[in-house]
Amino acid sequence: MKKYWRCHVCNDIHFGTKSPKICPTCLQGNAYVEVSSCEALNVMSVTESHVDKDAFAKAIQVFAAAGEFQINPDQERVALLLEGMFNNENNHGLKYCPCRMIEKDFEKDLTLVCPCNFLTHDSYKDKENGECWCGLFKKRRHHE
Amino acid sequence: MNRLIMFHGRECPHCKKMMPLVDKMIEEEEVELEKLEVWHNEKNADAMRSYRDIITPKCGGQLRVPSFLNTETKDVFCGEVEYEELVDWAKR
Repeated sequence: MKKYWRCHVCNDIHFGTKSPKICPTCLQGNAYVEVSSCEALNVMSVTESHVDKDAFAKAIQVFAAAGEFQINPDQERVALLLEGMFNNENNHGLKYCPCRMIEKDFEKDLTLVCPCNFLTHDSYKDKENGECWCGLFKKRRHHE
Repeated sequence: MNRLIMFHGRECPHCKKMMPLVDKMIEEEEVELEKLEVWHNEKNADAMRSYRDIITPKCGGQLRVPSFLNTETKDVFCGEVEYEELVDWAKR
């Protein structure tokens, strides 16, 4: 089960089954202490962060640049998907994939938040022209 | 009686691509099909979820849109298909 951990040096918060051996923010070793969700949320509430559509578009570009996939070059498609994700975040709380429907089972629905774990999906895995289900991410070809 | 439903999302590119084919089929083949938008209509979303056990086994374990469902025969597929395949499903 995932827990909250706080770096005692820089207040970096980690949410996971294990604490990081080295804090990625301040590089201190053996720095984390398990804390309550209340403490973790309080620490994080100090920094407000707004990721708008443009910022998210840049974030997924960075994400894709390091992967075997790319953002779909069809800009009209990407714009429609971003519109859907941000409408879903406003209306339903998270950037759910516009091409699937939430089941009202929160753990399962978390698998629909973009970017999802599409590398394992039938529309992507083992396919030369693999795409995530909505087509936001496409498998990169060598010449692209 | 067979009830044909297309569950779709307003900002889903697959749905956008299928919509003209669906409209063409309704007009040319005189097929009755309900188009239910699920992301902006909670009643339609609940309707789609009520068919979860029929839709998800055919759609990668998920409620994908577009999903095309025959409520009587439980014949279902999701995603984009050619026009002929769509008509074939509707008339089965």
